[in-house]
Amino acid sequence: MNNGELALLNDYLVVGAILFGLGVIGFLSRRNMIVMFLAVEMMLQGVSLSLVAWGRFYNDLAGQILVLFIIAVAACEAAIALALILVLFYRRGTLDVIAWQDLREADQPPYAEEEFPEGPEEVPPRWPSLTPAGRPPETPRPQTDYRPHV
Amino acid sequence: MFEIKTLLVLIPALPLAAFVVTAALGKKVLRQRSHVPLVAALAAAFLASLGLLAQVYRQSQQAPDAGPAPGHESAAYEKIVPLWTWAVVGNAYTAGEGKLLAGPAESRDFRIEVVLRADPLTAVMLVVVTLVSLLVAVYSIGYMHGDPGYWRFFTYIALFVFSMTMLVSVSNFVLLYVFWEAVGLCSYLLIGFWFQKPEAAAAGKKAFLVNRVGDSGFALGVFLIWITYGTLNFHDVKVAPDPRAPERTVVYHDPADVQNANLAGTQFGGVLGRTTLDNMAEHPRLYHGAALVAICLLLMLGACGKSAQLPLHVWLPDAMEGPTPVSALIHAATMVTAGVYMVARCAPLFAASPQARQVVAVIGGATALMAAIVAVTQTDLKRILAYSTISQLGYMFLAMGTGTLLGVAAGMFHLVTHAFFKALLFLGAGSVMHATGGVIDIRRLGGLRRVMPVTCATFLVGALGLAGIVPLAGFWSKDAILQAVRQEGTAGSGSTLYAALYVAALFTALLTAFYTFRAFFLTFYGPTRIPPEAGRHAHESPRVMTVPLVVLAVGTVVVGALLEWNRVLERFLARTPSISFLEGAAHAAHSEPGFDWSIAAASTLVAVAGIGLAGALYLAMPALLEQLTATMKAVGLYALSAGKFFFDPIYSLLIVRPLEGLARLSAWADRVAIDGLVDRIGGLPPALGSALRPFQPGLIPFYALAMLLGLLVLLGTMLI
Repeated sequence: MNNGELALLNDYLVVGAILFGLGVIGFLSRRNMIVMFLAVEMMLQGVSLSLVAWGRFYNDLAGQILVLFIIAVAACEAAIALALILVLFYRRGTLDVIAWQDLREADQPPYAEEEFPEGPEEVPPRWPSLTPAGRPPETPRPQTDYRPHV
Repeated sequence: MFEIKTLLVLIPALPLAAFVVTAALGKKVLRQRSHVPLVAALAAAFLASLGLLAQVYRQSQQAPDAGPAPGHESAAYEKIVPLWTWAVVGNAYTAGEGKLLAGPAESRDFRIEVVLRADPLTAVMLVVVTLVSLLVAVYSIGYMHGDPGYWRFFTYIALFVFSMTMLVSVSNFVLLYVFWEAVGLCSYLLIGFWFQKPEAAAAGKKAFLVNRVGDSGFALGVFLIWITYGTLNFHDVKVAPDPRAPERTVVYHDPADVQNANLAGTQFGGVLGRTTLDNMAEHPRLYHGAALVAICLLLMLGACGKSAQLPLHVWLPDAMEGPTPVSALIHAATMVTAGVYMVARCAPLFAASPQARQVVAVIGGATALMAAIVAVTQTDLKRILAYSTISQLGYMFLAMGTGTLLGVAAGMFHLVTHAFFKALLFLGAGSVMHATGGVIDIRRLGGLRRVMPVTCATFLVGALGLAGIVPLAGFWSKDAILQAVRQEGTAGSGSTLYAALYVAALFTALLTAFYTFRAFFLTFYGPTRIPPEAGRHAHESPRVMTVPLVVLAVGTVVVGALLEWNRVLERFLARTPSISFLEGAAHAAHSEPGFDWSIAAASTLVAVAGIGLAGALYLAMPALLEQLTATMKAVGLYALSAGKFFFDPIYSLLIVRPLEGLARLSAWADRVAIDGLVDRIGGLPPALGSALRPFQPGLIPFYALAMLLGLLVLLGTMLI
């Protein structure tokens, strides 16, 4: 066992750990379902990478074969997950995961976005305006209790 | 002809069948015909009882008549009919030395066997019970006509007659207790028959609760009998190997089998069995001592409850809230005499313990006097009769308290005659109620003899019988009691006591005649007063009600002289195994029937004086009545009598209120302390749940974070 192989393993493991850590952070910090899904994929790839590295280090192909399986399964999973996300999006018109909190305990209040005023509200200057003519255009805006954009 | 065994089983079985049929079909099918099964069954049972009486009489006359031999081989007759074994507990009895009746100490099982017995006492009781029940059932057809609970009434009566016939024919203390309670239950159900009326419901409850006090004493007495004697049977039994399967044993109950020397086996003496009574002299500890006195007093407590004696008499006057036929049947003629029957059945025990006997006599005498004083000022006809019943039952206990054959036979004699004339009086009162629309207050009635001549005539017969006028029933039986008490008062232990009781009994006889005829004159004589409740149809009762009255009136006239003639009842009862061992029993068969003219003269004198006083005060000289009443009020006697000796307020103050307070306290403690504790414990899981519930917010990032933290903790523990 030479130092080169050991260093290589070390590097790959570090990269895998970084990938996994980024995935965790992304999964925890983001609320867009697709981004969360991507973060999960990233965690998966970090693990896969470390498997490949260990496989090479022990000169055993089992690790790499396992990664091939993981990739195949991840592909299926991606297809299903994206289909689910699509359905959820059709239901609520948003990708925000906060829109789905129906499975809380019956007497728990729903989590609502708190609006923090960023400072004294500035009074908009009153400009002279023309009398509006005609029908104002209707722009449908969904009434939601969460932030429409992430 | 039927055998004794068949008849003995048939007599309770017929009312039981009527009970089942009426209970099953009464509400939907029989409805206003619900009386049919009961009346048919009771008629058959009465005939069977007569047959049984005839058989027992004939057999008992054939029994060996050995006379007063040293071995007390008396001429008793009993026929034991074992039906089945209810329960067996093997080797239940461990005896101390000298405690046992005949039979070895080891291998004594606790057996409850359903065993019936036929002997003179039972036969007499059965005839009285079935005859009075039959007449009351017929009367009830008219009295209860149209009542919505018609079928229920006859169902309860059938159950009662079954229980009562069983009560007098079982041969075992456990079964005696069972049917003792069963008749108490029927009494409760029938007092509260019109349970929509709050007074009736309360009266039923009161009767039940007061009887519990007595019955607890009875139960303790039965336990003590078991501990002391190791048996609860009245009769002797013989336990022998089964001839067909020698590893098992059979119990022989028949006296012939028990006496059979060829039959190898172990003989166990019953409490009132021949073996035991024969050995009375050899085993003095059995029939003397504190245990026996305790047994007798506890049994007497039971009898006090059931037979409404001091101090447990308070339920009987209130029991008059029930329908009048019930008062006649249960609360005058039959059930309340169960205590007298029990004491008569256990007569050897009472005879052997003079202290207990004197207690019985004093309770009887005091009750008789007290109830008679109370009855003088009551205004409710049925209540007068109720206090009269208490008083007459006191008479019977006074007679039982003498502990001699003369006394016991006199008590039973009075029981029989009292059943006739008291049932007659109650049914007469019911007839009055029927006519007046339920009004029974004698101050609001008067001159009813013109409206209801048959009721008036029969009531007069009953009243004369109760007062004790020659030649009606009460005269003979009351004289027999007075004679027995006076005989005990002239000789023997405690003669002063019995002499005093004799005077009290004579005074009671005076009061009895007075209050009976006060009620009679106020109700049937004087100016005609018919309460408005009667409407315009105050009338004589229908035939179905008057016929039983007439039958009972005829019975009241003839039964006393018939049974007194040649002292036939006394001689017959002396053939009962337990009674045959009483003092004087051995001589009864040989002695000349004595009739005490001085007592007859004295009792007739006081009776006539009482009637004359009542007639004078209530018919002739109302001014004198007012004067006398004012005097009595001034002395305080009037308040004592009208207030019923203040038993109810005293009990209320001493027992009911403290118990109520205790009950309130317990209810409060239960509600606050126990329920509070349970509620606290019950509140624990919800509290825990509400503390943990915020961990289920339904937010996916929260779950993810929790999962990650959990994973980290897991990894951390693995690393450490």
